[in-house]
Amino acid sequence: MSEPSTVERRTLAELARPSSGLKRTTKQKLTRGSLYSVFVIVIVLAAFLADWGAIQRSFLNPDIAREMFPRILTIAARNTVIFTITSFSLGLLLGLLLALMKLSTIRPYRWFSNIYIEIFRGLPALLTVLLVGFAIPIAFEGFRWRDCSVVPGCGTYGAGTVGLGLVAAAYMAETIRAGIEAVPKGQMEAARSLGMSRGWALLSIIIPQAFRIIIPPLTNELILLIKDTSLLFVLGTSDATKELTKFGRDFANLKFNGTPYIVVGLVYLMITIPMTRVVARLEARNKKAR
Amino acid sequence: MSQAPAAAADTQIAIDVRELHKYFGELEVLKGIDFHVKHGEVVCVIGPSGSGKSTLLRCVNRLEEPTSGSIHIEGLDITDPEVSLDMVRAKIGMVFQQFNLFPHLTVLRNLTIAQRRVLKRKSSVAEETARRNLERVGLSDKIDAFPAQLSGGQQQRVAIARALSMDPDMMLFDEPTSALDPELVGEVLEVMRGLADEGMTMMVVTHEMGFANQVADRVVFMDGGVVVEEGPPKEVLGNPREERTKKFLSMVL
Repeated sequence: MSEPSTVERRTLAELARPSSGLKRTTKQKLTRGSLYSVFVIVIVLAAFLADWGAIQRSFLNPDIAREMFPRILTIAARNTVIFTITSFSLGLLLGLLLALMKLSTIRPYRWFSNIYIEIFRGLPALLTVLLVGFAIPIAFEGFRWRDCSVVPGCGTYGAGTVGLGLVAAAYMAETIRAGIEAVPKGQMEAARSLGMSRGWALLSIIIPQAFRIIIPPLTNELILLIKDTSLLFVLGTSDATKELTKFGRDFANLKFNGTPYIVVGLVYLMITIPMTRVVARLEARNKKAR
Repeated sequence: MSQAPAAAADTQIAIDVRELHKYFGELEVLKGIDFHVKHGEVVCVIGPSGSGKSTLLRCVNRLEEPTSGSIHIEGLDITDPEVSLDMVRAKIGMVFQQFNLFPHLTVLRNLTIAQRRVLKRKSSVAEETARRNLERVGLSDKIDAFPAQLSGGQQQRVAIARALSMDPDMMLFDEPTSALDPELVGEVLEVMRGLADEGMTMMVVTHEMGFANQVADRVVFMDGGVVVEEGPPKEVLGNPREERTKKFLSMVL
């Protein structure tokens, strides 16, 4: 047996009731109160110091805002949505393929997938867009991005959406792979024990469950893509192919006023916020089937 | 030990395992197992954890790749690379400790998906088979539920119905009640007992000594990767010859 400790032993009651005098609840109230007051003071200061008249003239001019309609919706927002959906679909398909290659037993497939992901995750999206837009037509003589005008959003912007899709695929491949690996091993075993082939088990049992798991990160990727479509102006635009940011910029330059930026910003939020709400509901519904 | 081809081709024997070795890396988990199950026989495999009994069961439908040895199912050598494992597995029902129902599918779809895909049954036939087997496990009212809405015992009964829907020739049970709350064990064992009474060929890895005692035709006791003792339950469980069996039984009973 060790010797009795010489350190003074205090009872729990002594330790848990400090003698500072303040009750625990009083202390909590004080802390919260001061946090609130800092917040209010900062806002009030900002409100007093800002020149509201100038802000209204330069950024909240209703006449300029009105002039942007309806083209901001019929052309700019529509283009943004089309470019986003096209590049997301491409990224998703290619990302799934890369994820499966990364999980493959065939080594060169894994190498290819790893190298692809490293490259396209490492390059700035803008650079990829430029490379796809300008380098590919030069490399393959006779190939013009404009040739594929059958598909909506194609043309010059076809190159841009392909570029964005290539970048998105790299990110999505990692997400999808993680999702597939998060599905319990027993699922594959159960499917195989019923006689299903590996490929069919992946397709009908594993991948559907993986996608349920990765809905939140995929939504993130979609929102990133919506914003990245603003890079596509670098490939040159016509009036018909402007997306939201380019449209706002041109309008702002034309009117020498910041209002278009605010309006365009609101339109972006009108797209992204409802979308995140829908996905949140979808997720809640899916929980039932987990 | 020489393999007798005549005996190996005996179709009277549902599962015939000879000289089975299985390594996980350096670790030898199965050290030359000879094991068989005849048609209509219920064999319970018991033993301490790590004895290799689950690995043996998983080798029978090749979820685990045997390192060496032979496995014949109804006379067919399934270690032969020419054999279609998918079709062999379709004829061997398997029930897992963790149920492994497909959580994104309803109970009905859980029961029909492999029938449609593997056995190429029409959807009406597959559904009819599913309904019949759900009734067999007493869960007809859960046909449209998702697995997460069921209790553990109900999930395991659905898993049994799923395996039965493939009209298997034999059933493998890998500790089917080990993940269940004690009050849910009975309903699953009841379903298994019913199957045994109907003459289903069954290999059951279990810790339920009562079930083994009452239902099994034969009990196999494994320890350290070998079969230590086997025989009728009354002998192996009631009057074991081997010291290791006695020691194990004294700990679990």
